[in-house]
Amino acid sequence: MFAFTIRRLLISIPTLLAISFIVFAILDLAPSDPTGNLPLTIPPEVRQQIRDSLGLDEPFPVRYALWLKQFFINEPLNLIEGWTGWQFGDGDRLRVTSWATRSPVVDLIIERLPQTLWVVGMSQVVAVIIAVPIGVISAYKQYSWFDQIGTFVSMVGFSIPTFFTGLVFIVFFSVQLQWFPSIYDTNHEVTDWDSFVFQIKQMIMPTMVLALATAAQLSRYMRASMLDNLQQDYVRTARSKGLTERVVVTIHVLRNSMIPVVTVIALNIPTIFGGAIITEQIFRVNGIGQLLIIGIQGADIPLVQTLTFIFAVLIVLFNLIADVLYGILDPRIRYE
Amino acid sequence: MTRIGLLMGATALVAAGAAYADGHSERGSDGQLNIIYWQAPSLLNPYLSGGTKELEAASLVLEPLARYDETGTMVPWLVDEIPTVANGGVSEDLTQITWTISEGIMWSDGTPLTAADAVFTWQYCTDPAGGCAQLSNYNGVSNVEAVDDSTIRITFDEPKPFPYGPFVGAQSPILQQAQFADCTGEAAPTCTEENFAPIGTGPFIVTDFKANDVATFEANENYRVASQPAFATVNFKGGGDAASAARSVLETGEFDYAWNLQVEPEILTQMEAAGQGEVVSAFGTSVERLMVNFTNPSADLGDERGTVAHPHPFLTDTAVTRALSLAIERNILVEAGYGAAGRPTCNVLPAPEVYASTNNDWCLEYNPDEANRLLDEAGWEMGDDGVRVKDGVRLSVLYQTSTNSVRQGTQALIKQMWEAIGVETELRNIDGSVFFGGDQSSPDTFQKFFADIEMYTNNFDGTDPEAYMGNWACSEIPSPDNLWLGNNMPRFCSEEYDAMVVEMSQTAALEDRAALAIAMNDMLMDAGAIIPLIHRGGVSARAASLEGVKMNEWDSELWNIAEWSRAE
Amino acid sequence: MSDTLVEVRDLRMYFPIYKGVLRRKVGEVKAVDDLNFDIKAGETLGLVGESGCGKSTTGRAILRLYDPTSGSVSIDGTDVVQLEGNDLRAQRPQMQMIFQDPQACLNPRMKVADIIAEPLREHSDMSAEQRRERVNELMDAVGLARRFANRYPHEFSGGQRQRIGIARALALNPKFIVCDEPIAALDVSIQAQVVNLLEDLQKELGLTYLFISHDLSMVRHLATRVAVMYLGKIVELAPRADLYNRPKHPYTQALLSAVPTPDPTVEATRKHIILQGDVPSPAKPPKGCNFCTRCPAVMPICKEVEPTFKEHGAGHFAACHLLEQDQSEAGELSQKQAETAETPSQQGETT
Repeated sequence: MFAFTIRRLLISIPTLLAISFIVFAILDLAPSDPTGNLPLTIPPEVRQQIRDSLGLDEPFPVRYALWLKQFFINEPLNLIEGWTGWQFGDGDRLRVTSWATRSPVVDLIIERLPQTLWVVGMSQVVAVIIAVPIGVISAYKQYSWFDQIGTFVSMVGFSIPTFFTGLVFIVFFSVQLQWFPSIYDTNHEVTDWDSFVFQIKQMIMPTMVLALATAAQLSRYMRASMLDNLQQDYVRTARSKGLTERVVVTIHVLRNSMIPVVTVIALNIPTIFGGAIITEQIFRVNGIGQLLIIGIQGADIPLVQTLTFIFAVLIVLFNLIADVLYGILDPRIRYE
Repeated sequence: MTRIGLLMGATALVAAGAAYADGHSERGSDGQLNIIYWQAPSLLNPYLSGGTKELEAASLVLEPLARYDETGTMVPWLVDEIPTVANGGVSEDLTQITWTISEGIMWSDGTPLTAADAVFTWQYCTDPAGGCAQLSNYNGVSNVEAVDDSTIRITFDEPKPFPYGPFVGAQSPILQQAQFADCTGEAAPTCTEENFAPIGTGPFIVTDFKANDVATFEANENYRVASQPAFATVNFKGGGDAASAARSVLETGEFDYAWNLQVEPEILTQMEAAGQGEVVSAFGTSVERLMVNFTNPSADLGDERGTVAHPHPFLTDTAVTRALSLAIERNILVEAGYGAAGRPTCNVLPAPEVYASTNNDWCLEYNPDEANRLLDEAGWEMGDDGVRVKDGVRLSVLYQTSTNSVRQGTQALIKQMWEAIGVETELRNIDGSVFFGGDQSSPDTFQKFFADIEMYTNNFDGTDPEAYMGNWACSEIPSPDNLWLGNNMPRFCSEEYDAMVVEMSQTAALEDRAALAIAMNDMLMDAGAIIPLIHRGGVSARAASLEGVKMNEWDSELWNIAEWSRAE
Repeated sequence: MSDTLVEVRDLRMYFPIYKGVLRRKVGEVKAVDDLNFDIKAGETLGLVGESGCGKSTTGRAILRLYDPTSGSVSIDGTDVVQLEGNDLRAQRPQMQMIFQDPQACLNPRMKVADIIAEPLREHSDMSAEQRRERVNELMDAVGLARRFANRYPHEFSGGQRQRIGIARALALNPKFIVCDEPIAALDVSIQAQVVNLLEDLQKELGLTYLFISHDLSMVRHLATRVAVMYLGKIVELAPRADLYNRPKHPYTQALLSAVPTPDPTVEATRKHIILQGDVPSPAKPPKGCNFCTRCPAVMPICKEVEPTFKEHGAGHFAACHLLEQDQSEAGELSQKQAETAETPSQQGETT
């Protein structure tokens, strides 16, 4: 397993380099102009000067090489300096800088990670907590009223987009009942009980909107996997051993059914970092997803390039993690 | 107590409260002000971003020497008076303007504002490596010098009858030299800290800035008016969409002020009914207008189609154009497509107030009878098919515009109104990127204007209409000779008009310029070259408890935020 | 040895069929229909029949892995059909099952030692040490090396897995074991080993087996008595020699005629009874005798009246109208056929 992991990690290096090149090339070819959103009253020669000042006058390979150096050498060194306090060279190196905000992209991402992890990450946790029991009970009592309702609810969860549920939540809970704020306060700090309660309140709606959508999906996976396993002979074996149903379901069936579900969850984790573009917009969570969409709208190429590439790294990494997890969970799988 | 008595009592209380607020308001006494901009500012240095959202967010902190109030009138801000030729501030040859900074203006860090800061700001923006987005404000400036600590002299390389570009309005505020000294040229984008939290002279200072997300401000202790600002802190949140921003002010009441609410009028009306706040609008110079083609667009004319060689068969008849204008019920158009963001207008130059003519207000009244009478009088007789005819020419127009749901709605309404007076109307819409695209090979551009009537919106930036009114000079007529480049779509041509254009470029006194602009506007209206429809404005929302908002399209909407306060 | 350990009476196992949007019940599959038989302590009852005839369902219903529709199954005096919940679980150690697919019946995520020890944890108060000791004993008993205890099932061969399955079944000292085609999924060379192991264990531990198989030769080798099933019903039940030598039911005769003989000359001249048509669906069994659609000796009465299952000769039960109408003629016919099939095929015995 160790050798397998190392080999896969090594293979992922050229893969990621290729991805970074493709992303860079696509963004370069895309018809976008960082001055495109400026008011029409700004004359073309001023626009050209702005573009030049952003480095757009350099040829493509130079810009790509510069980005590689900034991203793979300067940024890691900077992070290490920040964590350890060591000093490499004079510490004055060019960082990947967003065109719109004129600030280092990595700092923007770090600034936005907390709210994204809190809201989107928590939604995944809540989704698992909701989905697993529903999936288990639905499968165990297949075609019961619980299963029918579960099927209906998850179908609804599947088919209704988050921007709709989000709006319904806002209209109902914020406008009508006035229970929860419709706008997330990213400056809020949890210092005591009251502020903790406020944090929970402002997190509930975006978290639940995302959790319901994810749970709908996960519970279906869970149910299908449980149904597969419930039909297996080893379940009959377990019953014939005289085990209680609870033990049969939780020890035997659930553990085996979790194998595919756990890998689905692992593959979902990069999307947590990717944020939930629409949900973040609706509730003004302003996390990574919103950062990306603003970057795209404003043709902020360094920002989009860096974010996209980080997502690519996470996806490659979590694919590997999912494979390794599968190997750990399912003794039948061996990587050599 | 009767109901009326109660109401009167309440009114008295409110009045008393307002009086109290006016007399005794104290800096920082009104707590937090929550503002939502659904487009979030990405930094707070307006010189590095030309976007409105950045300009307005920065206007809480950075200030120009003079700015425009809600009527578009220039008001002194960091100076005591606006320099003019009359008061000697502008040189006779119109090449120099001299500003004098008021006594005792401090930066928020406690140091005094000096002329050197203005000089630095000019240098900062004009550094070719810096990529300054507001460079056009310094067009023609050959030098900015500090005569003494409080006197700034700006020299232009040619006479400038309107020398109020540099340091006037939200686009051109003054930066602090001490803070930005190391941030010029190529270093400009690397000064993240400075660009996120500039030091200014305004009522607030930046306490925290999260790019594209939220900015927080607190009252500036060194602000020049001791009792202002009334709010202690400002939470300036960004992100989301216009409808939900409107909702957060009008329905949930979480925010006090929401900007740029491009939302369907009926949705805004519905939200406003919740009673938490109200929609406010302000009008700049944007006018949705019908351009009337004075040349014959008939395809039979081949290469000479749409050129001055062939006058239009009936649209040069002022009786026809006047009737067309009278037959349009502009209020209906506003109601259907614009709501608070529009109002009827009869001028192509509707604002600022000093430039706005009142001589054409006859068109505000919907009067189909008068329209019919005019046409009858001019000899246009109603035919059997309901279309008027004169000398074998049918009153039939092709009416084109860009593809856009509001525009198509307007087109349909106008078609109905015109057909009621016997004008046959054929509608056409063209994709915006083609219509406004200026492609030489396309017959569908708004410059070629191969139709009888076309509709679109245009405006001018800032408050000086000189360049805008110059659009209708004879030399601006698009034709094959100038590759159809030109702004005079109606192909209006008048020596008298051209003379006024030249005169305006040599006139410095504001009153005289205004008189000229009004005369030019009226001439275009009388000739029937343009039929203005709707004066379009910006729409924002404010909470019922927020006082002092003076919605402004000429400057930052937050231009007078120092005066905003919370109602008792 | 002649005490009855298992008594099956009127056992029915019907599976409902649901159809349509509202999943209304539209019928039922009569997988097991009115079974009556006994199994004596220490004997092996072979249960044979074509696939789909309800053999495995019978086994599972007897062990209460299904909830029978009606009837009773008493094992050592307790009617397990009536038991529920904890009472049923308390009864489980007595009755165990060895499954057909040794791969599928073992939880892939549990180690061998855990699989064998799990019932001990549930049904005894042994210490961990004692349990380990017992697991070792059981592994010895089924011929598995002790060092394999910490391996996962997929690391074993098919035969070894079946040994694990047997060890697991034996863990609680059951009296009665249902062997549901325990060798069908194994290589021929391994089959004999497992069968011998089962035989040895039976002798050693005094086990009673219900041995379900479609392999008539294997059953002949192993069983004391044999029951033949067709479409959810037992058509014939007799002591081994009796059944193989003198099958009374036309279906049994047909089945036996299909068993190949090792002698090529006999095999070449032997008369096969080829059954025509397919087995009817158990959801729609024919009227009268279930076998009437394919029976070579079908009579009009067969299509009207269901024959009763009764004794024809000592311990020889069958359900057929032929036997009641014309004993001698039918007997003769079956006699001839039985003779041709006499030489037993015993390829399973070579070890």
